[in-house]
Amino acid sequence: MIELRALSARVGAFELHDISFAVPAGQYGVVIGPAGSGKTTLLEAIAGVLPLRSGTVMLGGADATMLPPERRSLGFVYQHGYLFPHLSVEENVAYGAASAESAREVTARISVEHLRGRMVRSLSGGERQLVAIARALATRPKILLLDEPFSALDPRRRVAVRREVRALHREWGMTVLQVTHDFTEAGLLGDLAILLDGGRVLQWGAPDIVFRHPASPYIADFLGAENVLAGTVKVLADFAPDWVEGAPPELSRGHRAIEFTTGSLTLYTVGDAADGAAYAVIRADEIVLSAEPGATSARNRFRGAITEIATLGALTRVTVEVDGTPLVAALTTRSVGELGLKMGTEVWASFKALGVHLC
Amino acid sequence: MTEQSPSRRVVHGAASVVVALCASIFLLFLVAPIAELVTSAGARGVQQLGTDGELRRALGLTALTASAATILGVLGGTPVAYLLARHEFRGRAIIAALVDLPLLIPHPVAGIALLLVLGRDSAVGGSLLSMGIRVAGSTLGIVCAMLFVSAPLYVSAARESFARVDLRYEAVARTLGDPPWRAFRRVTLPLSLRGLVAAAVVMWARAVSEFGAIVVLTYNPKVLSVLSYDRFTSFGLPQALPVAAALVLLSLIPLIILRALRYERGLDV
Repeated sequence: MIELRALSARVGAFELHDISFAVPAGQYGVVIGPAGSGKTTLLEAIAGVLPLRSGTVMLGGADATMLPPERRSLGFVYQHGYLFPHLSVEENVAYGAASAESAREVTARISVEHLRGRMVRSLSGGERQLVAIARALATRPKILLLDEPFSALDPRRRVAVRREVRALHREWGMTVLQVTHDFTEAGLLGDLAILLDGGRVLQWGAPDIVFRHPASPYIADFLGAENVLAGTVKVLADFAPDWVEGAPPELSRGHRAIEFTTGSLTLYTVGDAADGAAYAVIRADEIVLSAEPGATSARNRFRGAITEIATLGALTRVTVEVDGTPLVAALTTRSVGELGLKMGTEVWASFKALGVHLC
Repeated sequence: MTEQSPSRRVVHGAASVVVALCASIFLLFLVAPIAELVTSAGARGVQQLGTDGELRRALGLTALTASAATILGVLGGTPVAYLLARHEFRGRAIIAALVDLPLLIPHPVAGIALLLVLGRDSAVGGSLLSMGIRVAGSTLGIVCAMLFVSAPLYVSAARESFARVDLRYEAVARTLGDPPWRAFRRVTLPLSLRGLVAAAVVMWARAVSEFGAIVVLTYNPKVLSVLSYDRFTSFGLPQALPVAAALVLLSLIPLIILRALRYERGLDV
């Protein structure tokens, strides 16, 4: 378990402020944040290589605030590896290894056997990251701190190593905290997501909750939510409206029926918001486009014209302008072709009340 | 690419000639005296080593005392350099300035200062003398003078060398189970070793060439610099030349070592 209580630390002019969160034992936490948000500094503070100004670091249920790094039973992988350049790959992996057998095992599982005799200088950036991961794992740590550990790997290798690290995490019961700026990686790996920006934790919780229910419009924007609309909330009823029946209670987040007005659009949603100004967040994958109104249970339905089509591989983002308000929908590129969507095409954009998150 | 006008090309050409001329004169100024000394008296100096016992003794004494001063400088200066490179603490700037101080004062003044502390009439010098340890006027005095004037060079270069090793190597070593001392021995020291050796070589070279502080603290026994001065004032230039040449040749040794370190593959010096 990794638990931070009101942790503050400073490096030069940068400061981590009042950081609190907990990654339960055996879980995989992911810290997400832009460059310069303090992600590496946070890991260094947990590892004990950076002195704290205040706060508490609990590791495995015990107070580790005053423990030196070598007594924290953790492994730390920096983004750039920091392999010891005067040693060979084999010597690096063996450096703090729990046993020769442990070094051999992780060398095989991380697939760096073929690099064993090489000197660090001759390795590529990706190879260095692999060896650094193997070196940290060879110590059989109870806690593993990973700082963008897959960033220099090619996509195929990244998937394989990510899978192997996740497998080791499960087999050994390690608690892992990984830093990334890749939301996909965060969603794929994390049992827990921690959003960090400007040295502060903005929000933390299960990735699905964090991504679907950002605590503020800033977080929504930070997480790449395509539709963040400013407007006004009007509570229609203080009881469960019919469109939430059967929905999982954790997704309904309150049962007030709400009308949200933004520009000339009126959306319907459910939640625990009160009357007044607010922001509505609708993720692009919540919006369904169709040529005809058809039969749908979606509570919100608008007609508009397509003003932009942006294709990125298998995924396409289509912007539909509804009475001056742009709504961005994410579709598979194949669907766009099948629907015959083109610039200027009139379409119906629909989304469920539960797809609208107010903050 | 824009084409230059003919007049501008002439100005640029003339400026290049002036810069090249200035650089050549400067280099000539640095090299000519030493080249002249070595060519005119180098061979005689080497020959004289076979016949001149005093020169041989001075050469041996210079090498020995410079080596002793360097060893003491490395032993005492390395922790100071590491502390200054690695730790933020109150008074660090003051300690750094104090370490550099001997570099800033004239060397005869450094000798006088040492004499005040280590001379037979001083508290420290008197106490040492009562224990049978004489500093002023002894080989130990030469070592002290060399150490005083050349150790700051070692500390400064060693500090730079430690600072060049990224702190994160040590951080990783710590998370891999090393306590601070072992992380230093297994990671920081090997990574900065070449720089430390270069710093020690520079210190040794500076110690070999020291005159001002030594001549005040210990005129006899004579090291090469004092002997060349003594021969010059007592017998004139011809007698001083071979000694001076021998001193120059001795000083070339660290230069060769430094070059070798620089050309060796691996970490930069």
